[in-house]
Amino acid sequence: MAGLELLSDQGYRLDGRRAAELRKVQARMGVFAQADGSAYIEQGNTRALAVVYGPHEVRGSRSKTLHDRAVINCQYSMATFSTAERKRRPHGDRKSSEMSLHLKQTFEAAVLTQLYPRSQIDIYVKILQSDGGNYSACVNAATLALVDAGIPMRDYVCACTAGFVEDTPLADLCHAEESGGGTTLALALLPRSENIALVQMDARLHQDHLDALMEAAMMACKGLSKVLDSVVRQHLQEVSVLTRE
Amino acid sequence: MAVDMRLPTVRKQISLSGSQSTDGKHLVVPGDVITSDTGFMRGHGTYMDDEKLTASVAGEVERVNKLICVRPLKTRFNGEVGDVVVGRITEVQQKRWKVETNSRLDSVLLLSSVNLPGGELRRRSAEDELAMRDYLQEGDLISAEVQSVFSDGALSLHTRSLKYGKLGQGVLVQVSPSLVKRQKTHFHNLPCGASIILGNNGYIWLYPTPGQQDEEAGGYYTSLEPVPLPDREVISRLRNCLLALAAHKVLLYDTSVLYCYESSLSHQMKDILKPEIMDEIVMETRQRLLEQEG
Amino acid sequence: MATVQVSEAEKVYVMHGVRDDLRVDGRGCEDYRHMEIETDVVSNTDGSAKVSLGHTDILVGIKAEIGKPRPMVPDEGYLEFFVDCSANATPEFEGRGGEELGVELSNTLYKVFNNRHSLDLRSLCICPGEHCWVLYVDVLLLQCDGNLFDAMSIAIKAALFNTRIPKVHISEDEEGVKEIELSDDPYDCMRLNVENVPCIVTLCKIAHRHVVDATLQEKACSVASLLISVTHKGMVTCVRKLGRGSLDPDSIFEMTETGKRVGKALHAPLMELLQKEESLGKKRQKVGFLA
Repeated sequence: MAGLELLSDQGYRLDGRRAAELRKVQARMGVFAQADGSAYIEQGNTRALAVVYGPHEVRGSRSKTLHDRAVINCQYSMATFSTAERKRRPHGDRKSSEMSLHLKQTFEAAVLTQLYPRSQIDIYVKILQSDGGNYSACVNAATLALVDAGIPMRDYVCACTAGFVEDTPLADLCHAEESGGGTTLALALLPRSENIALVQMDARLHQDHLDALMEAAMMACKGLSKVLDSVVRQHLQEVSVLTRE
Repeated sequence: MAVDMRLPTVRKQISLSGSQSTDGKHLVVPGDVITSDTGFMRGHGTYMDDEKLTASVAGEVERVNKLICVRPLKTRFNGEVGDVVVGRITEVQQKRWKVETNSRLDSVLLLSSVNLPGGELRRRSAEDELAMRDYLQEGDLISAEVQSVFSDGALSLHTRSLKYGKLGQGVLVQVSPSLVKRQKTHFHNLPCGASIILGNNGYIWLYPTPGQQDEEAGGYYTSLEPVPLPDREVISRLRNCLLALAAHKVLLYDTSVLYCYESSLSHQMKDILKPEIMDEIVMETRQRLLEQEG
Repeated sequence: MATVQVSEAEKVYVMHGVRDDLRVDGRGCEDYRHMEIETDVVSNTDGSAKVSLGHTDILVGIKAEIGKPRPMVPDEGYLEFFVDCSANATPEFEGRGGEELGVELSNTLYKVFNNRHSLDLRSLCICPGEHCWVLYVDVLLLQCDGNLFDAMSIAIKAALFNTRIPKVHISEDEEGVKEIELSDDPYDCMRLNVENVPCIVTLCKIAHRHVVDATLQEKACSVASLLISVTHKGMVTCVRKLGRGSLDPDSIFEMTETGKRVGKALHAPLMELLQKEESLGKKRQKVGFLA
């Protein structure tokens, strides 16, 4: 494993976590005043901002309009200073376009788009600091932003990554673990129904291990959903205490 | 000149003591099952998941007889017939104007739903169609009432009453629609010396209290005479008060606005939006509102 | 640029207000909105700052990389600017929508900051003609409510103040091959002298007067504005006319005078705040986006 020992004999990872342990998650809803919904999330050293505009009239070409449901429009971008090596462009490269598409697919599975025919919902996510699990941080931030905007969803969408090292599945990989060359699985889950909104695995893995890896990723997603849930409930209570008559 | 630079302050955690936090309110988040009893009707903010009535937004459950809705904390404007709105013209089309009202689709104001100068029962002629831009053009603000809701959720507006129509000089404040309290009237001449239209869509219009003379103008003539300085001061102060109340999520209606205005009088107008002064003023307002309720 | 629509009557209201020295939000013509500044907000940069001015939110990250000096000035380092008008600020910036504005903003910043009067570029030189530090100043627009330039210049000055560049040791072996070694100790670093870094003041001409720190609505009511960058001594380093309208020489003169006075006054409170923040050290609770 390229010189780096990703999992010590005692069962600790590079940053001292256990195999199934998540990084510290902190989040906040309603960061910005101008957007319809916004949220910020920190998962370890990965930080992401999500902003939601809409539902609103379809902009630009009217041909995009769907007559039976809303269009979901996503843009993923990374701050140029977010990575260790400075990026030259915040978005528009192949990786970001792919990520935007994945986000769109993920949220089309969760948002009740049929309630808003002929409208458009914009979801813009920005990675401010990147340390592995960018996709999952974006999904989690966007979920919070959608809840903040009051857009109806079947359930939260929680995303997390999982890797596989020395026959042990690891949850919530950091950058060093992601780039260690092992298998990485990204999973977006609707936690209550356990439906999968998106799954993606980039390296090869023996079929026998797949179940274990999926199981680990699902556990991690459920763990995250608890955190997101408490953030939303806290926000909900605070605001409803303030607005009481 | 004045410049005020500071470090950001850490947000105070609002203490959620047991009795206060729930307050008898039923709060749900997306995916929460509200009831599995099939005797209820599904309203806004809910969906059926395996016979179970489930919330799709985060908010408070409201029950009206058999109907269950969840009202989200913050959302775009969901207009209902009879709502008062303030909106901005975005497009002039054939026989209709498109109006931005903070809804999920642009609202429509039909040429047949406005009062044209020269009496209510006038026929709309081809000339009227050509002169539509003379009445209302892109960027103009109007006050109107929701006449009907189309099947796709778009609103149809009308201005067939003298209180509605084109808005002249004044200031627009935009807040979340859920912060505007539903009341019998949304038009108020506040005793502090300005008037306010609290649009249900969260668009609030502050303007100098009109005199008698522009009653018969039919709503299309706007005076471009300078507004006197004292009126401006009142309007600017009210604007900042509205923003302060909205930042602290206080419901907006004539009394809350007025109390806030009175609490702010000990401060300079431009200072109202500074966090500590905002806290102080809003706290005082809340106190007075509580006292008034008894 | 994010735009707001304003009706004729609203425009008239704004203009008369400016004439009476009472703007819509209660400010006078030379008042700034309330500003919040925090540095060291992004940990994987060498310096960063976040500034919010009303609803305008700016995040600046500075990364120092070793590069080759420009041939014309072999003994100086240089700065590179990039402004990311992200779709977060407004949907208009989606895709390539913000690019044009981004290029305009970054070119202006380059003119204002990258000269030896604002920053001691010599101190960025490592080995004349061969190696120097290049400071990549990346500005991220998060929310946009007018007066981007002023907010950006303050954020950049704060981020430059916060920047720590690792010390470099150059060793030479027998064959004269130089080897650059970066210090591992995070406290063994070089700070930049930001004393002369200018602040930008944008003056918006509305009717017959001009205002500083215009909101988007006020900007929509003005035909042209003047950008002035001023150092703490009141020296003007850059003047630009922005916008589609034209200005007569008299008003340019008046605006320059106001700009000089206002710009000079921005520095003292800013430096005071930055020093105060630094003196709090680790005691300061980081706020970032979580509060």
